[in-house]
Amino acid sequence: MVEDPGKALRAHAVRPVNVPRPVYVKEDEHGLPAAVRLSRLQTVAAIEDRWRIDDEWWRGAPLARLYYAVLLDSGQRLTLYRDLIDMRWYRQRV
Amino acid sequence: MMRVLCVLLPHFPLACELLKSPGLKDRPVVIVYTRGSQKLVLDHSGGMAGLQRDMPLQQALSLAGDAELVHADMPYYQYSFGTILDLLEEKSPVVEGAEMGLAYVGLDGMQLLYPEDGILIGALREVIPRTFAARIGISVNKFLAYLAALYSPVGGHRVLEDGLEDFLNEVPCDVLPVSLKTRNRLRNFGLRTLGRVAVLPPGPLQSQFGPAGKRIWELARGYDITPLYPRMMQQTIEENTTLPAVAVSLEAILAAAESLLARIFDSSALKGKGILSFVLWTRGWDAEHWERSVRFKEPILSVRAALTRTRHVLESFPQPGPVEQVGIRITGLGCGVDRQKSLFPEVRARDHLLDDIRQLEFQMGGPCVFKIKEIEPWSRIPERRYALTPLDR
Repeated sequence: MVEDPGKALRAHAVRPVNVPRPVYVKEDEHGLPAAVRLSRLQTVAAIEDRWRIDDEWWRGAPLARLYYAVLLDSGQRLTLYRDLIDMRWYRQRV
Repeated sequence: MMRVLCVLLPHFPLACELLKSPGLKDRPVVIVYTRGSQKLVLDHSGGMAGLQRDMPLQQALSLAGDAELVHADMPYYQYSFGTILDLLEEKSPVVEGAEMGLAYVGLDGMQLLYPEDGILIGALREVIPRTFAARIGISVNKFLAYLAALYSPVGGHRVLEDGLEDFLNEVPCDVLPVSLKTRNRLRNFGLRTLGRVAVLPPGPLQSQFGPAGKRIWELARGYDITPLYPRMMQQTIEENTTLPAVAVSLEAILAAAESLLARIFDSSALKGKGILSFVLWTRGWDAEHWERSVRFKEPILSVRAALTRTRHVLESFPQPGPVEQVGIRITGLGCGVDRQKSLFPEVRARDHLLDDIRQLEFQMGGPCVFKIKEIEPWSRIPERRYALTPLDR
């Protein structure tokens, strides 16, 4: 028999998956990602792709992101983006 | 003879909007709601000649092109009106909320509590917020009480018991509780006042308007045998959620509806009963309200049973725009019929697994097993493509 914890059982709202996570990115003089701190600071060996998303501009909180698909020195591939609204860096799986 | 008091709150939706956004005061405003694919006028600011309730928006804009459009916030209006009815019920036990902004109070047997009409009217005015500028009318039936309220001074009252014929002769047909189409047809026949209708024999009216014709004729003569329908006390079960992001896809809305239904089934509010009907509503990013009633042949006892019908309703009646909020209001409960458990072991194994998950969730105090659901797989924004929803129940 399961003990009643006395909490109200509620299935909470739908949860988003793949939410962007803030990440420390060292920029070069052109504002491009030069190094990324994961467990340690790793140098970006190459920027393989770059694209921009502008969406929901009709709403109060528009969305503007500049994505970079980067290859790190360690050989790991990563997708980063710079939020052009709050000017912070995030990592996200695409 | 029955005595009825009518409380009329003129331009009730507009008054509610002004409470929310005082900045709208002194600006020409048209409140719009959606019925099917049509946008219709619900209410408007004073001084906008020619505008009527249920008039198509295109027609309204041709009369008031510079008006500011506001989407009707039905749940808010209903909640506000419900609160007023609750307050009226503290003063009289027989209160009918006929429609938003229109309530009737039964006066029969109230003489001991309120020996004079004025005392009761004063008591009712105390509980109605002044913003709504209530008009009060008293007469011998609901229609006449409504007319008395309609023709009472702003913030005042009128008792209509004598000289009814002279009064009704000059009242325009627009006050009749019939559809806009019927009112327009009456006007096309040259029947502009109740007096003109009252002198006609009932036969031709019935042949033109069907059963409504007889009612029109009776109302024009001041007869209204409609009884008072006091409000039934009922527990409201309602859940709503704000989506993580504005959504246009059916899957996103359905996932939200699924999570809400799961909440309702998991709560103790149903008391073991099944759901016979509910109202599914959404609120768009521009505050546009959409709602549909979902009914079942027999009370349903699981989320899965509710979802098939919900999907069908969502597919048949598309959203007017991107959705930000989804809600479910239970409107009918019934005793469900339990079904025999499946004979197939794989189905029973699944049921057992779900049972275990339910027990685990109960112990943890919240859902802990989720499934990944495609929401907008085509979205350019990665976090909008999938979502976690509680497992099927």
